[in-house]
Amino acid sequence: MTALALALLIPWAAGLLLVLADGRLRIVGWLAVAALAANLAALVVLTVTVLDDGPVRVVTGDWPAGVGITLRADALGVLFALLSTVALLAAVVHEVLDGVRERVFPGMVVLLAAGLTGTFLTGDLFNFYVFFELSMTASYVLATYGGRRRELGAALVFTTVNLLGTFVFVLSVAGVYHITGSLDMAMIGERMRDVDPDTGILVAAGFFVAFSVKLGLFPFHFWLPTVYVGSRPAVAAILSGGLANIGAYGVLRFGGEMLPRELELAAIAMIVVGCASILYGGLLAVSRRTTPEMLAYSAIGQVGYILVAIGIGGPVGFAAAILYAVINALNKTLLFLTARMRGALVGAAFVVGALSVAGVPPAGGFIGKVQLFHAAAGAPALIALIFLGGLLSFVYVFQIYQYDFWRGERRGRRSGWPQQAVVAVLALAVLAAGVWPEPLLALSRDAARALPGAGG
Amino acid sequence: MKLVFALAIAILFGTGAYLLLHRDLVRVVLGIVVISQASVLTLIAASLSRGHAAIYPLTGRISDPLSQAMALTAIVIGLAVTALLLVLILRAVVAYRTQELDEIAEEEAAREEESERALAPEHEDEEAAAR
Repeated sequence: MTALALALLIPWAAGLLLVLADGRLRIVGWLAVAALAANLAALVVLTVTVLDDGPVRVVTGDWPAGVGITLRADALGVLFALLSTVALLAAVVHEVLDGVRERVFPGMVVLLAAGLTGTFLTGDLFNFYVFFELSMTASYVLATYGGRRRELGAALVFTTVNLLGTFVFVLSVAGVYHITGSLDMAMIGERMRDVDPDTGILVAAGFFVAFSVKLGLFPFHFWLPTVYVGSRPAVAAILSGGLANIGAYGVLRFGGEMLPRELELAAIAMIVVGCASILYGGLLAVSRRTTPEMLAYSAIGQVGYILVAIGIGGPVGFAAAILYAVINALNKTLLFLTARMRGALVGAAFVVGALSVAGVPPAGGFIGKVQLFHAAAGAPALIALIFLGGLLSFVYVFQIYQYDFWRGERRGRRSGWPQQAVVAVLALAVLAAGVWPEPLLALSRDAARALPGAGG
Repeated sequence: MKLVFALAIAILFGTGAYLLLHRDLVRVVLGIVVISQASVLTLIAASLSRGHAAIYPLTGRISDPLSQAMALTAIVIGLAVTALLLVLILRAVVAYRTQELDEIAEEEAAREEESERALAPEHEDEEAAAR
């Protein structure tokens, strides 16, 4: 319980103080790193507790259950909280080593960590919206980071589109409250069982649109390339490795726990959207010639796999979706951070990330793909499509590798060793996930079991 | 009553969406504001109930305080985000010297083309060699 409170308090308090300080000073940057590391430590303790003793549930302010806002940590929530914090930590260390350019950067990242942790650890629907908005607001500011025209243009698009997504989300929250009369996620899940799915599907569609905008799925992706290409590597890593997790988590949590019957109804539609995303992202990524552009379109393609796995559903499908979301976030953090670097370790790290995106052993992406095939067993068309998607990603990552590292199209000074060490550590993590996948597999199965919708 | 609310929400949302599609950046912000009002109104409409205020001691029927709390929170968040968006637009106007989205997009496209052209000769060599 203390760990749960600390995981929310540390980044929130530290973020508030750090926003006041001048982030361009090295010491402030390292303080932000320390705050994120402390948050990570609290989350690790929380994860161990959750895995050993089951979910932790706290009603804030000592209100009786059902009145106060509930915070709850289950395997799914802590896994995503851990993942996002790791991505944020890596990006901040990378940027601090390079020299922070704007005073609010470290504080905003720590506040983003507070928002993300809260989003993943809350058990209350409206509270989810508040934390969600907190993380979005921090990321609107982060999208302007760098302050040149290009970042501003990207941030403008990002903010407008995502605000619209958020308001659609609020509309659905109001709908759920109207139908069930409750804001507690577990209770909503129980009461939704008696609701006619025809009513529920409208609400579910609103949530789906809101989360798809965050994820950057195919019909809702239009803001994504501008933003990921326009912003600095560290910010792109934060957005794709940290913030995009909200989308994957949201579809899993809302579909798997609160609206399982609606998810079943929409399964075919989700698989179709996922497949469209895989093909669209893959084909456009092949046609791109710079690393950030390729990565942006690849991000659109990769989230398609997550959606396909959720559409397949059941314990196997959900576990595959969770595993793929984790590995995809690590890949994207790693690759976006290497996007403008040069050096011996950078090439090696890029290859590891590239192998992982393409799903070639021994990198982590291979395990993700295997789980996907496992989930899709029995649907030959789907297996063929996943295979085709993998083929496309193989072509686009190695084409970029060729341009960038064999012909030396990356110019500028060589990155410092500490910065290279950061990406090397991330690359080792991706490799470890592929070579020794048991812990991650077990964790994703536990997380899938936390969703009542997976049981049936 | 529900019909009145539903109509009001629909009109607000439609107006907001129309404004959002404008070229002028200030109108885009206005569109967002109007849409946020539509969502606040939906929160209120989601639990319309008549009765006394929910203050202790509770007497008779009380109206649902939760939807009002949610609406208040949503209004505050909407205000903060609108302020942020306005600052963002101010910075964009200063940087691009225009508040028309078209002109910003045009300038972006021109710069994109330039960077493509800078990359092109090398790729042409490569493609020629491959052939």
